[in-house]
Amino acid sequence: MMWSALEKMPAPATTYERIVYKNPSEHHYMKVCLEFQDRGVGLNAAQFRQLLISALKDLFGEVDAALPLDILTYEEKTLSAILRICSSGLVKLWSSLTLLGSYKGKKCAFRVIQVSPFLLALSGNSRELVLD
Amino acid sequence: MATLRRLREVPRHLLVCEKSNFGHDKSRHRHLVETHYHNYRVSILIPECGILSKELKNLVMETGPYYFVKNLPLHELITHDFINTFVKKGSCCALTYNTNIDEDNTVALLPDGKLILSLDKDTYEETGLQGRPSQYSGRKIMKFSAEESTMMSYFSNYQIQEHQPKIALSTVTELQCPVLQSSALRGAPEAACSAPELLDWLGAVFSHAELNNEPNNFISTYCCPQPSTVLAKAYLCTITGFILPEKICLLLEQLCHYFDEPKLAPWVTLSVQGFADSPVSWRENEHGFRKGGEHLYNFVIFNNQDYWLQMAVGANDDCPP
Repeated sequence: MMWSALEKMPAPATTYERIVYKNPSEHHYMKVCLEFQDRGVGLNAAQFRQLLISALKDLFGEVDAALPLDILTYEEKTLSAILRICSSGLVKLWSSLTLLGSYKGKKCAFRVIQVSPFLLALSGNSRELVLD
Repeated sequence: MATLRRLREVPRHLLVCEKSNFGHDKSRHRHLVETHYHNYRVSILIPECGILSKELKNLVMETGPYYFVKNLPLHELITHDFINTFVKKGSCCALTYNTNIDEDNTVALLPDGKLILSLDKDTYEETGLQGRPSQYSGRKIMKFSAEESTMMSYFSNYQIQEHQPKIALSTVTELQCPVLQSSALRGAPEAACSAPELLDWLGAVFSHAELNNEPNNFISTYCCPQPSTVLAKAYLCTITGFILPEKICLLLEQLCHYFDEPKLAPWVTLSVQGFADSPVSWRENEHGFRKGGEHLYNFVIFNNQDYWLQMAVGANDDCPP
């Protein structure tokens, strides 16, 4: 990377400023895990997303099945993911996950491990600290 | 209509963004770090860095130890002996383990000697002590001043274990990274990203999310805020455990000195997450769990000693100081 001499010169000290944002996050983030009653059921990321969309559709219909939903991370081995949903769709997504009971005839349940409007909060979970 | 509106509502959350310079007399950076007592996770991101300096690595390795004592009766924390051996020395923090602030009774000891008890109604009535109702739940909060050898020998009659914080070090390559201007907290169109955008991006980096998705990608459309640049590499360090504010102050100071010599990095970040089940966030501000229990802060340290400080809390929290 090339930096010009001008960019290398530090700018003068900035003045103090404070901004308080109330409900700034347009998105909420959920760390979830899909558990099956029987072992050996696998889904890839696309199938996982399709499952989320159909859960939304079953409970809320076609329009809400198209809510902007992203799978930021997905681990196929543990069927766990970090989801991003527009904040206005959080309650709908969460309730859809709660009421999802099966996938392709196999009994399953979503575990919601963490929810936050701040993605940084999901990079660590103090409730997972195990000391004994 | 009211039901439809409720379906679209989320619990209130607050994000305070400040900018200042470490050289300013009235800069509150030290105070804000020192009064955030129960810290679970500290993360450092250094752009264009492949290896930690010896000083920084030593500080990272020396953030512990912390101690876990099983079945400790509460009265042990208010004995004269305990207060003289640990509390008066000023650097003792404690928090009940495996207690959920929204369900269980929780106790915290602050470095200034205050003992905070967050109790459900029945336990509160059993204690017969004077408290006040929680602002956010049906619980009662009590605060006491515990009017300061080592921990291991002091609690040798109980099952005590010494733990070291877990440290994870890694480098990432070809990292898309927002362009920032230290004077532009709100960002500048086409020129710089805002503080909330930076905080979001940091979350994506530490969660190992893909930052460069196409808008029509089926799985995720998340991408780095614009304008952005590509870092050849970046160093990530996370420390997880029960970390004292003093140790975080030392890390912050060392990161300020990162730019004593010219560096390619325009800024570095230091992020701290509090314990979700601590009864306090900053100072004695009540903290509750609601849906996430988050109370975290992040420093962006610029190469001219300017800094940004973002403090984020959830619904059952007072506004950060």
